[in-house]
Order: sequence, then C-alpha cells, then structure tokens
Amino acid sequence: MENVASHEDWRSCFSELAPGLLLFARQWVRSRADAEDIVQEAFIRFWRRNHAINNRALLYATVRSIALDLIRRNGRRARREAEAVSESEHVVEPQFELADEAQFALAAALDRLPHDQREVLVMKIWNDLTFAEIATALNISQNTAASRYRYALAALKKIFQPQ
Amino acid sequence: MNDFSDIENELKKLRPVHPSHGFVARVEQAMADQEISEDKIIRPNPFRINWVGLGFGVAAAAVFLLLARINTEQRPEKGNKIAQAPSASETRSTSSGEFIPSAATQVVYNTRDEGLQFADASAQPQRRIRYQTHQTWQWRNPATGASLRVSYPSEEIVLIPISGQ
Repeated sequence: MENVASHEDWRSCFSELAPGLLLFARQWVRSRADAEDIVQEAFIRFWRRNHAINNRALLYATVRSIALDLIRRNGRRARREAEAVSESEHVVEPQFELADEAQFALAAALDRLPHDQREVLVMKIWNDLTFAEIATALNISQNTAASRYRYALAALKKIFQPQ
Repeated sequence: MNDFSDIENELKKLRPVHPSHGFVARVEQAMADQEISEDKIIRPNPFRINWVGLGFGVAAAAVFLLLARINTEQRPEKGNKIAQAPSASETRSTSSGEFIPSAATQVVYNTRDEGLQFADASAQPQRRIRYQTHQTWQWRNPATGASLRVSYPSEEIVLIPISGQ
C-alpha cells in the first residue's frame, strides 16, 4: 500500500486519534505519562515505517506491542509500583472526564471487565474500529472480536439494569 | 445487538481524558526532528569504490614490487664476487643491499563532516567524517645511500558511532 499522506495529514490524524489511543494504552499502565510515552513511540514508529495512514489496525497493534514490551522490560519495577499502589489508597489517574455519579459507576464497572473484553470495547466504542480492524490488531477472528464485545456489553448491562 | 444500544449510548457519553497540554506538540516535534535527521542521513552505496585512492594504492604497490625485483636480480652478481673472495665489507653490503623503509608521513589537509548515516541497517547513527590526506613513504638503501620516495593523495572515511540522545 503506497503511503501518500502529507505531514499535515499525519498531524491531523494524530490529533484526532490521540485521546482514543491514550485510552487504549492506559489499559496496560496506570499513569497518563506512561501511556503518552507508549503512544508517542508507537505513532512515531508507525509514521517512520511509512505505513498507510488509514491502516488503523496496524497502529493499534503497534501500541499494544510497545505496551506489552514495556511491561516485560519493567516487570520488576511495575510489580514494585503495583505493590506500592495497592498499599496506598489505590490512586489511579482517571481515564474519562466524568460528569456525574452514573458515569463514575460506569467507568468503575468498565475497569472490572476482563481485560480481553475491555480491550475490544475500548477499540470499538472510543476508537471506532470495525470488528475486522479489531480482529487484525489483536490477531483474533472477527467472530471472537464480536463475541468479546457482546460479552462486555452484557456484563455492563447486567450491572446497571439488574432484573 | 439492539438489546445493547442503551448501554452503548451510555458508554459513548463517556469522554476519554484529553492528552496533557504539551503531548500533541511533543509528538509533532518528535516527527519534525525525525524528518530533519532523515534529511541528513547519507545512505552509502556499499559497492562504491574510491577509484582514485585504489589507483594510487596499486601504483605504490607496483613500485614497491619493482624495487624488490631489482634487488633480487642483483643478488647473483654479488654472489659470484663473494664466491671468489668474500670479504667483511662485501658481505655487509650483500646483507644490507636492500631498501628498507625509513620514513612515512601522513598530512591531513582537509576534514569534512558529511553528516549522519545508518550503516549496515544498524539502528545506531554514525557520523561520517572524510579526511583528505597526502601520504609519503620513503625507503633508503643504507649501503649505497640511495633513497626512494613515493607520495600520493588519499582519502579516508571514518564512521564515529553517535551515542543515544
């Protein structure tokens, strides 16, 4: 695929995708600063390798790969930090701009979802990826991506609309 | 899927936290920095040959071999003399009847910084410095006092690894 995007295209692409990419990266790290480092490295790598600007599946796969590499590299440090966090008041920087209690509860419920379901939900709801793109990024089938999405919504619905 | 439209709508109302103030600017700056360094990168052709340098090198080698051959051809004549009446002085002459290296100089008269490059697909950039020099090699025959001098210009390219940012 030939990449004919201009520098301005890349800039506007990044401005548009940055909030969703950061939310996606925040699944693996607790601080916004770490997530920003991951997204910056991923986006620069994606841009430098001259990939097609609209190949979003590859961009998200790059973010995921860098985040997982970071976790492996800093495993010991991360464990120490996780212990420190669990010993303290479990202060985690918010991932959403919360307007009311209902949104606060929804964000908390989102945090309790299994990681593989939450990952698909974040890509679908806040990054507008198609199931085909999600499947490519996560190296799973489209059916699996769609199933995880449905399971996630069902779990959230169960919390908020108990029968 | 319609069963979930209400919860989907609620989720879509959640707005992700905006990036920190300087984040977008930082990434744009990183892209601009990368572009600048890309402009300066020289991708060397690994098969490019410095024909001038090679020519002078071959010429110098040819002169050296020619001298060696001249010395070899002189030996039988001296050998005859030694066979007839060997003397201390003649023996010394035979053993020292060769040109021996006596001096070598290399004068750097120009240095040029040719920017950064990535050699052999390495991730580490290297600075490419071109030195233009004039080399002089001198041989001397201690027995006869004769000397031979070869001078030629040469170019040398040095790659200096650049440490991380």
